[in-house]
Amino acid sequence: MRRGDATVYRRPARLLDLHGRPTASRLSCAMVRAGLPVDAGSAWGGAAVRWLAGWWRIVHLGALLAVLALSPTSYRADLHAKLARHLWLGTGPTVVWFTVASALAGLVLIRIVVVTAVSYGLTQYALEMVVRVLVLELIPLAAALFVALRYTLPQAAVLAQRRLRDVQLPALPDAATLRRDLLPRLLAGVFGVPTLAAASGVVALVIAYLMVYGFTPWGLPAYTRTVGHVFTPAVVLIFAFKTLFFSLTVSLIPIASAVYDAPGAGTLVVAELRALVRMFVLLLVIEAISLMGNYY
Amino acid sequence: MPVTPPPAPPAAEPAAPTPAHLEFKAAALLVAMLVLIVASTLYLLYARGAFERTQELTLITDDAEGVAVGMDMTFSGFPIGRVRRVDLVEDGKVRILVDIPVKDAHWLRETSVFVLARGLVGDTRLRAYSGVLTDPALPAGATRTVLRGDATTEVPKLVAAARELVDNLARLSAAESPLAQSLAHVQAATEKLNGPRGALGLVFGNDTDAQRVNDTLQRTQAALARLDGVLRRVDGVVARADEQVLGPQGLMRDVQAGVVQLRELLQASQDSLRKVDAVLEEARGIAGNVSGATTDLGALRAEVETSLRRIDHLIQEVNRRWPFKRDTQIQVP
Repeated sequence: MRRGDATVYRRPARLLDLHGRPTASRLSCAMVRAGLPVDAGSAWGGAAVRWLAGWWRIVHLGALLAVLALSPTSYRADLHAKLARHLWLGTGPTVVWFTVASALAGLVLIRIVVVTAVSYGLTQYALEMVVRVLVLELIPLAAALFVALRYTLPQAAVLAQRRLRDVQLPALPDAATLRRDLLPRLLAGVFGVPTLAAASGVVALVIAYLMVYGFTPWGLPAYTRTVGHVFTPAVVLIFAFKTLFFSLTVSLIPIASAVYDAPGAGTLVVAELRALVRMFVLLLVIEAISLMGNYY
Repeated sequence: MPVTPPPAPPAAEPAAPTPAHLEFKAAALLVAMLVLIVASTLYLLYARGAFERTQELTLITDDAEGVAVGMDMTFSGFPIGRVRRVDLVEDGKVRILVDIPVKDAHWLRETSVFVLARGLVGDTRLRAYSGVLTDPALPAGATRTVLRGDATTEVPKLVAAARELVDNLARLSAAESPLAQSLAHVQAATEKLNGPRGALGLVFGNDTDAQRVNDTLQRTQAALARLDGVLRRVDGVVARADEQVLGPQGLMRDVQAGVVQLRELLQASQDSLRKVDAVLEEARGIAGNVSGATTDLGALRAEVETSLRRIDHLIQEVNRRWPFKRDTQIQVP
């Protein structure tokens, strides 16, 4: 795929469905412009098709970026600087603050859980509950949201503004643009979420140990056994997949919204809002699926 | 419809300054993340017991409710094993495979007992007890039967007993129950006790019988008064009898004098008999010389007769003074 070969990725002038026919939304718009009545059913159908088309474009862009991410040519020496820049910008400035913030929040939460459990005589379950709630559920979600708010959404805004400045950009960037502009941002987001989650998770585990056992090494065997109880292979697998999909969600959706939502008057805010809504919905769905996998 | 021209695109943002040593920082970040993830993975593998040498123990039970893969088997409260697999065998029993770390296997002996305890609150516990730690060690791959200590099985019995108790209490406390009737009767009896007739009205149940008892009591009181007078007269009689018997001129004094005289008479008769005994001894000695002794025999006979008469007189005197003696026959020796 050569640089400038945009015909492969160029969006067609008219929105067509998978069989090359005009989509319902386009039909509806044409009917409105022609002054023809559009019934509610066709309006709902058009909205559904637009909704599906929007998600399809996100999946399509994600597939393209995944192919590029797995391609060795995406890691040529001339791209190293850009990759390193986004990798550092996406994670470096945030990892310390996020770890500190999550440690403080975890400290409060662990203290509440441990004191409550002790008052009810359920001390043996407090540690397991802390590890499950904090490390497995809250920290990955918080890390994903933190990366989204601090890195991927601002980067998506930068991309959208760039597209707003240059209306001649193709609807779908060419491969070189994907490699140069989108892939580093995607990789930075995908790298940032697990890194933040891992660092905060380790800190939370250490804080939980210290809160329950204090500064003594004699609780380590029991603590290790409890952690081993919690992290069964299935739980670890679900945790890993959840973190991966969180990172993909917060990385891909803002970029896709910046790329696909048509630049124009007043659409920047709409695109950002749409990206936020899509991102939160997808995060919610992933969290719900992981909860079902862990506890059902 | 007038078309509003689109707002002018914002000016290009100035490029952010590139941090120093960017590639080094990014590489350090990557390495740090890799180290973090590898270390976490190794710790989790260690926590799951992936690096421990274990031996297998098979436990057989007929109900594995609450037993889950990964649960601990404890000895004295310390986890020494982990359930690896739970499956149902052909005879309908449950086989629980437990991995025992070799470093902890010495706590299990041939005589160890394994208990599956299920409490009212909390999860099921698998416990091992080794009474004699000097017994031979439990071999690897051993199969043991699990004893079950299930607190929840006692709950239905407890509930049934409690229900029966509550039913009994309800029957006891019902309005028509014997206890309630008894209490009503007690109340009625108490009211009668507090009534004008008191306990007699409670005992006899009607006023006529109670009045009759009152009359009887009054007559008994009068009879007792008369009896008291009789007793006073009896006391007078007894006092007079005492005066006649034990007084200064009473019978007892005469009896005492008679007894003294009787003692003297007996002493005298004893002397006489001793003399008779001597005479008889002499008579026996002189029996061979009858002819010589016949001259003294008259005097002796006269003396014997005198003694016999005195004895006879004494006996008569005794019989006169001692009215209880009826046998007056005297045997001559």
